[in-house]
Amino acid sequence: MPQDRLACIGPSLTNHPTSSGPENSGRGAILWLLLRRFSLRHWKEAPWQSGLLVLILALGVAVYFSIRLANRAVLASFRNFTDLITEQSDWILKSPAGELNDTILPELRRALGSEPVHLVPIAETTATEPPSSPDEPIGQRRTYQILGVDLIGIQNVRSAAKSSVTSATAQRSWFNQSAASPGSVTNRFWELFNHPRAVFISEALAREKALQVGGSFAVLVNEAVIRLEVAGVIPESPERPAAPVSMLVMNLPALQALSGRADRIDRVEFILEPGGDLDARRADVKRLLDEASQSRWRIESPTQRRESGEMMTRAFRLNLTILSLIALLVGLYLIFQALDGAVIRRRDEIGILRSLGVEEGLIRQAWLLEAAALGLVGGIFGAALGWVGAQVAVRVVGQTVNALYHATSAQSAALTPSELLLAVALAVVAGVLAGLAPAQSAATTPPAQLLVRGGLPAPGPWVLRSRSLAFALAFIGVALALLPPLRFEGGIRFPLGGYGAALCWIFSGGIFAGELLHLVSRWLSGGKAGRVALRLDGQPQRGWPHPEGSTGAFALPSRFDLGSRSPLLRLAISQVRPPTGRHRLAAASLCCAVAMTAGMAILVGSFSTTMRGWIERTFEADLYMSSAGAQSASTDNRISTTVWKKIVDRPDVLAANVIQAGEIRLPGGPTMLVGASMEFAQSHAHLAWQNQPSPEDFAAAVRGEVVFVSESFTERFQKKAGDTLELPTPSGLKPVRIAAVFADYGNERGSIVTERLRMTEWFDDELASSIILKLKPGVEPDRVRSELVGENPGLSVFTNSHIRREILRIFRQTFSITYALEFIGVTVAVIGLAMTLASLLLQRRNELTTLRALGMTHPEIARAMAVEGLLTASAGLAAGLVTSLALGWLLIFVINKQTFGWTLQADLPLLELAALGALVLAAGSGVGLLVGRWGAALPADREE
Amino acid sequence: MNIQHRTSNTCWLFPLLLFLVLPLASSAAIPLTTSDGFAVPQPGRKFVFPRDHGSHPEFKIEWWYVTGHLFAKDGRRFGYQATFFRRSAPRRATNEPNTDQLYLAHMALLDERSGKFLHQERINRAGWDAGSATNGLDVFNGPWRLTMPDPKSETMTLAGGVRAETAFSLTLKPTKPLVVFGIDAVSRKGADPTAASHYLTFTRLETTGTLRLGAETIAVTGLSWMDHEISSSQLDGAQVGWDWTAVQFDDGTELMIYVLRRKDGSIDRFSTLAHVDREGRVKQVPADQFGWKPAGQWKSPATGGVYPAGIEIRVPEGYGPERVLRLEPLAAAQELTGDLGGISYWEGACRVRNTAGKVVGSAFLELTGYSDGLADRMR
Repeated sequence: MPQDRLACIGPSLTNHPTSSGPENSGRGAILWLLLRRFSLRHWKEAPWQSGLLVLILALGVAVYFSIRLANRAVLASFRNFTDLITEQSDWILKSPAGELNDTILPELRRALGSEPVHLVPIAETTATEPPSSPDEPIGQRRTYQILGVDLIGIQNVRSAAKSSVTSATAQRSWFNQSAASPGSVTNRFWELFNHPRAVFISEALAREKALQVGGSFAVLVNEAVIRLEVAGVIPESPERPAAPVSMLVMNLPALQALSGRADRIDRVEFILEPGGDLDARRADVKRLLDEASQSRWRIESPTQRRESGEMMTRAFRLNLTILSLIALLVGLYLIFQALDGAVIRRRDEIGILRSLGVEEGLIRQAWLLEAAALGLVGGIFGAALGWVGAQVAVRVVGQTVNALYHATSAQSAALTPSELLLAVALAVVAGVLAGLAPAQSAATTPPAQLLVRGGLPAPGPWVLRSRSLAFALAFIGVALALLPPLRFEGGIRFPLGGYGAALCWIFSGGIFAGELLHLVSRWLSGGKAGRVALRLDGQPQRGWPHPEGSTGAFALPSRFDLGSRSPLLRLAISQVRPPTGRHRLAAASLCCAVAMTAGMAILVGSFSTTMRGWIERTFEADLYMSSAGAQSASTDNRISTTVWKKIVDRPDVLAANVIQAGEIRLPGGPTMLVGASMEFAQSHAHLAWQNQPSPEDFAAAVRGEVVFVSESFTERFQKKAGDTLELPTPSGLKPVRIAAVFADYGNERGSIVTERLRMTEWFDDELASSIILKLKPGVEPDRVRSELVGENPGLSVFTNSHIRREILRIFRQTFSITYALEFIGVTVAVIGLAMTLASLLLQRRNELTTLRALGMTHPEIARAMAVEGLLTASAGLAAGLVTSLALGWLLIFVINKQTFGWTLQADLPLLELAALGALVLAAGSGVGLLVGRWGAALPADREE
Repeated sequence: MNIQHRTSNTCWLFPLLLFLVLPLASSAAIPLTTSDGFAVPQPGRKFVFPRDHGSHPEFKIEWWYVTGHLFAKDGRRFGYQATFFRRSAPRRATNEPNTDQLYLAHMALLDERSGKFLHQERINRAGWDAGSATNGLDVFNGPWRLTMPDPKSETMTLAGGVRAETAFSLTLKPTKPLVVFGIDAVSRKGADPTAASHYLTFTRLETTGTLRLGAETIAVTGLSWMDHEISSSQLDGAQVGWDWTAVQFDDGTELMIYVLRRKDGSIDRFSTLAHVDREGRVKQVPADQFGWKPAGQWKSPATGGVYPAGIEIRVPEGYGPERVLRLEPLAAAQELTGDLGGISYWEGACRVRNTAGKVVGSAFLELTGYSDGLADRMR
């Protein structure tokens, strides 16, 4: 066989103009020849294996890439909605707490003098599609973001963007859009501005709902179902991103009336008219506004606003990215393994090439180019696959962000050329990195050694076998786990030490997995050292002695000499005793995937147990209600004063807790201020107090002197009971003392609880966010619920058991993407095991021939391979499970605590861990069997 | 006069400028209100100041129109325009006060040396960012503002500009008394008795202030003209546009001319030439006693409108220092392209020469309705 290869490669090489032509072009030509005859041929001859390798790499890239795209899409929804209808703002003015009164507008204009700046006052609210049934789950309906702007005033912004010397670009206008019905409001200019329900919708929504100008559709605002009349489609322009499907625009006064917030605005955006030194003018405008502010408002740039949104979800997104990288890392390992296997399989060819005088450098380059090409193809497929995955992931990520942080409109993730390039580059770099060691090995191993057929398998690099390194990593991990988190602006914390510890422990676990495989094989084979390896001449030879010798630290007395009982077992065990580098890598990668998956399962299990306990203690009232539009953490839909007053005055209500909640910004970042009835909290609610407040504390809370804060608040703002705070409110700063701390798993930004009546005074606002009712004894909650829903179709009313179920469902939903990523990680690791076994079999094809000649049947060879797979999987699983205990502890007590500030009660989800173990073992032996069956029939001279 | 429909999307504002135009004649009695409930200018009205410098929301349309010529110490010359329009929303009931108003404003500046013409429009609903006082002159739109802080001297201040490319801060001091054009306080514009306005003008305003152009700040002096016109009228269907000019002669007298053009090419009989002598006394003649002849053409590259490139005026004896005048634009391109209002028109600074070619004064010329008929747009 080598001769025919020589015939095909040799003449070309010897006739090649290396000696006569310019050296560089000669090298290039030889390189190309090597790639064509040496690499590409192998790929073509084993298309399935090549395909699988590309697929693995593509999968690794795809997982990382899809999460990246999904994250970006969700982040893009932090974009100011106004960017879509006007120009990018230069400054945004907001109240430090609550809303702004629109009486400040003339004051702002006066403060800016004749400075040419557009002032765009904006009110925002949310609306949802009306509920289809009172029992539907939370978060299933689309949330619309309704933007209230001065429809006439924003024409100036549009106009000013154009130079006076250029003509207007033709684009759709806000006004004069032809209406389907002649009587439509849009046909009468003035009526459009006085129409309380006229709304502009996005092109996307118009298409989706087949809505025309003059048509109408129902939405839920606060607790009322109303019909909005389509006055037109939001004009789009090539320079701006298209309006998202969930965006609605109304005239400002109409929106203020609709949301029950007359004279209130959420922010004022400032857009400098073009001309002059923009940076200097921007600074001037900021200075003028700051001078006029006297702490009544805060000014931020759109970048700061976006960044604060980005920061809010940074920890969440980072966790996802880290998880998504696991698949890529495991993929990287697979490329390494595949290329390393290829070096071994093609070593006779390499030996011939080297004998013919092909330089080391050229062989190295050829291997690296092959690795890069593999990366290129994998990257392209990975990007395509990742884009598809991102379309699914964006919805899941979006749902979670919706539930925890703010209303995101992200529905699809776009693939930009730069992102595509990044994916391909990532794959190429991964390929080259993974190919470095095999390329070096191919280039530097002496030809004589290469040409010895059936050379002994390598025990793997030193790092895979060093117990001292494993111990060192474990101890470094412990030290890192004790480090405090990094703190960023806005109260954001990042547990860098915790993640470092996780990485150390995973690597350490990986090394131990290899060692464990070694020990188990020794133990099972009765302590006999050495493997049986068959050489070309058919003579058995003692294999690689274990470097630590048979008296190593992990040497155990053998109880069962299984090997002597069954030749099959003996054969299987001998393959992993001592384990080759590839066995160790396979066990390590399984260990990594199992450790991460099981560690996360422990975290989720503990979280779930803690949540259940918290829910049982805290949710004791009979009925809970909010606007049915309250579909996410940031919806503005509330319950109007007349409605909630009517509800709490019902004769069957024993006690009611009317809750008002709103975001305020403290010096450390934004948090939630919650107004609740202190009397109700004292008598009817059982918060999970860390230190129970005294009756005097409750009395002081009613007077607005003290507040209660959540545990995550104390972590985030580094405050404790007894500390003081200054609460920003529209009526000035309110100094309060923290009287007690309670556990709250519903909000990671932290919350401050005060008496609702004080909050009403401070914010001059009575709309309720939610209502909790305790009914009189004997009153049937379901009956009251039916009555309330009947009277108020826009209200979501939950009984005690229903709300508990909903909270747990949302909780599980937020972890769904985590599970998906873990699943992919484990799948890739199992495929990796299959490839390891296949590659080992290929390497041992001469042995297989001999075994068959000696009378072993194909099923026997397959079973031996299944045992080998099972052994490797067991070692990976066992090391992985032990590592997962450490990771679980780390996730619960370090990473979670530092990131979210929640104390969780540790709980081992034994059933899930057992299921994972069974799955890995079954997969390990299953792929072993399959590969064994395939390998048993492998002819001795088959190349790949 | 080239009132041009720029894009279909903007024609909703079109009626606004239309109403700046005017009436058809009739000797019928003048009603107190229009059919939609707005006040009609009544003969014999006694104006009370400073109140009548302010806004009159009982009328449908009103504008304060300042044009002028500015000079820097180094001899550079600029023309500027600052116009504030008010247009009332349809009245819901005649007995209710009408508070819903739309404010439109136009600013323009011509730098004669560079030939660069800057202009901008602004539109706002009455409220915090646009409005006009009813007890004196204080009209504003965004950062632009025209006020009369001292009613006694009737000196006005103007803050205006075009985006951040230019800004002007000017003091406008009357050197002649306020003029009321028309007959018995009513300036008729058409046969319909409601087609009329109260037309109040400061014909000669000594102007001082600063002009910022790019990074340069220039002290300027000059001469301005300010019209304040109040009406509720509409344009006749037979009229296609109008030309208007305000000529300030070097001898201290002025001419104001408006020419209403009809579809058949003739000049409407309500077109008027008015002369203001040094003391501020006004005398006026109808269309058949003066001549108005376009000279040459200029086609706008932005809108395609074709405007006269100058005007030759034949003035009757006793109505000014010259019998024949030629209005010569300082630059051809002084068109406001109507980005917001949807109506493009030409409004520019001119030199005024006599037949001997001698410069005898300065003028502002307005040309509207040169691409399509205003009246057609109304229907």
